[in-house]
Amino acid sequence: MSVTSSPEATTATDTSADAPVTTVATLEPVAEAQASAEAAHGDTHTTTAHAEEHASGGLPQFQTEHWAGQMVWLVIIFLVLFVLIAKVFAPRLRKVIDTRGATIAEDLANARAIRDEAEAQAKDAAAETAAAHVAARKLAADAKAKAAAEQAAAQAKEDARLNAVLAESEASIRAKRDEALSHVTEIATDTASALIEKLTGKAPTKTALTAALKKA
Amino acid sequence: MADPLHQFQIQKVVDLPVIDVAGVPVDLSITNSVLAMLIGVGSVILFFSLTTARASIIPGRFQVMAEGLFGLIDDLAESIIGHDGRAFFPFVFTLFLFILSCNLVGMTTYFTATSQLAVTAMLAILTIGTVIVVGILRNGLGFFKLFCPSGVPLLILPILIPIEIISFLMRPITLTLRLFGNMVGGHIVMKVFAGFIVALASAGVAGYLGGFVSLTAVVALTALEFLVAYLQAFVFAVLACVYLNDVVNLHHH
Repeated sequence: MSVTSSPEATTATDTSADAPVTTVATLEPVAEAQASAEAAHGDTHTTTAHAEEHASGGLPQFQTEHWAGQMVWLVIIFLVLFVLIAKVFAPRLRKVIDTRGATIAEDLANARAIRDEAEAQAKDAAAETAAAHVAARKLAADAKAKAAAEQAAAQAKEDARLNAVLAESEASIRAKRDEALSHVTEIATDTASALIEKLTGKAPTKTALTAALKKA
Repeated sequence: MADPLHQFQIQKVVDLPVIDVAGVPVDLSITNSVLAMLIGVGSVILFFSLTTARASIIPGRFQVMAEGLFGLIDDLAESIIGHDGRAFFPFVFTLFLFILSCNLVGMTTYFTATSQLAVTAMLAILTIGTVIVVGILRNGLGFFKLFCPSGVPLLILPILIPIEIISFLMRPITLTLRLFGNMVGGHIVMKVFAGFIVALASAGVAGYLGGFVSLTAVVALTALEFLVAYLQAFVFAVLACVYLNDVVNLHHH
């Protein structure tokens, strides 16, 4: 701690004189400022009172002669900032934030609507595909059934024709066989007659042959 | 070592006349304290003018900062005061930005206006004054129900009412001293440790280690003081909201 700044050891003038040494912020020498302040006060009693306060040590914040000016300036500065915030800055910021919120909500709603539409379209497409599947399956089944029916009909027709041919053939065979069988007696008679004639030398009578054949 | 209290000394920068208001001399000179307030609030006004002038839906970096501060206090007022919070938002936001900017001017460049008792006291008076005015405008004489909580047994009231009155009267004092004490204390400690660096380093090689420890402490304290600068502004805003809520939603108590 520098010697000069020890408050008890200095008078009022010393304090003001040594102030510029340690001050960075002052633009004017404090001695002059203090002098003008004293002139303005115009009261030596006040000055001595101030000097005593300076010299009393402790925090400089308790030097009450600086209070009123700071308070008045503070109120002025505070009010300026308050008015600017209340009338300009806050409405501007609130507006832009609200606009952004509205824009985002709108965009979201749009996106949701488009998504819903796309989903509906997808559902429609799926339904169409399913319908096409059903139609195709039905067509295939129809074609199959028709082909099967045609085939069955053709087969039946062919069967009928073949059956007819078969029946005809069988009838013809049966007729031929019956005819052949009917010739058997005659042939047997002839053969027997020939055999007997050969054996006996004389032809048997027709009635005897027939009776003999009937016995056989 | 330099006097750690010298940083709080009021110096005149521009001399203006002293006027007399009801017998009280008011020195309108621009002092370093007033200049610090002007620098702080001027920066705030400049910052918000630039960031909100061309505010767009897709914000730039600085607009994000401005909206962040706005949202912080807007949410605070809304959550504490409720639906009426918006009406008091400009006041709370002004308080917050005023204190924050003055604290930061003190931390970075010039002079800490919020380390002046007159400044913190005036801020507390403004806050409590607003609370009282709002309370009386909204509730009329019902404002005094603030000191008489409902649903309390009659027997306790004689004890409770004086306690409530004292606690209300203490509010401006605690508001004043909390901010004042935080700023003064922090700045003194930083100054003292910074003084140690010079004192120890000049003591020779043996002092270098101590000087280095002091330097580390100053760096750490600077970070802490930035936190305190923000925190005290925030605390002041929170308390302003709490006190306003007491009178705005009086009938809910």
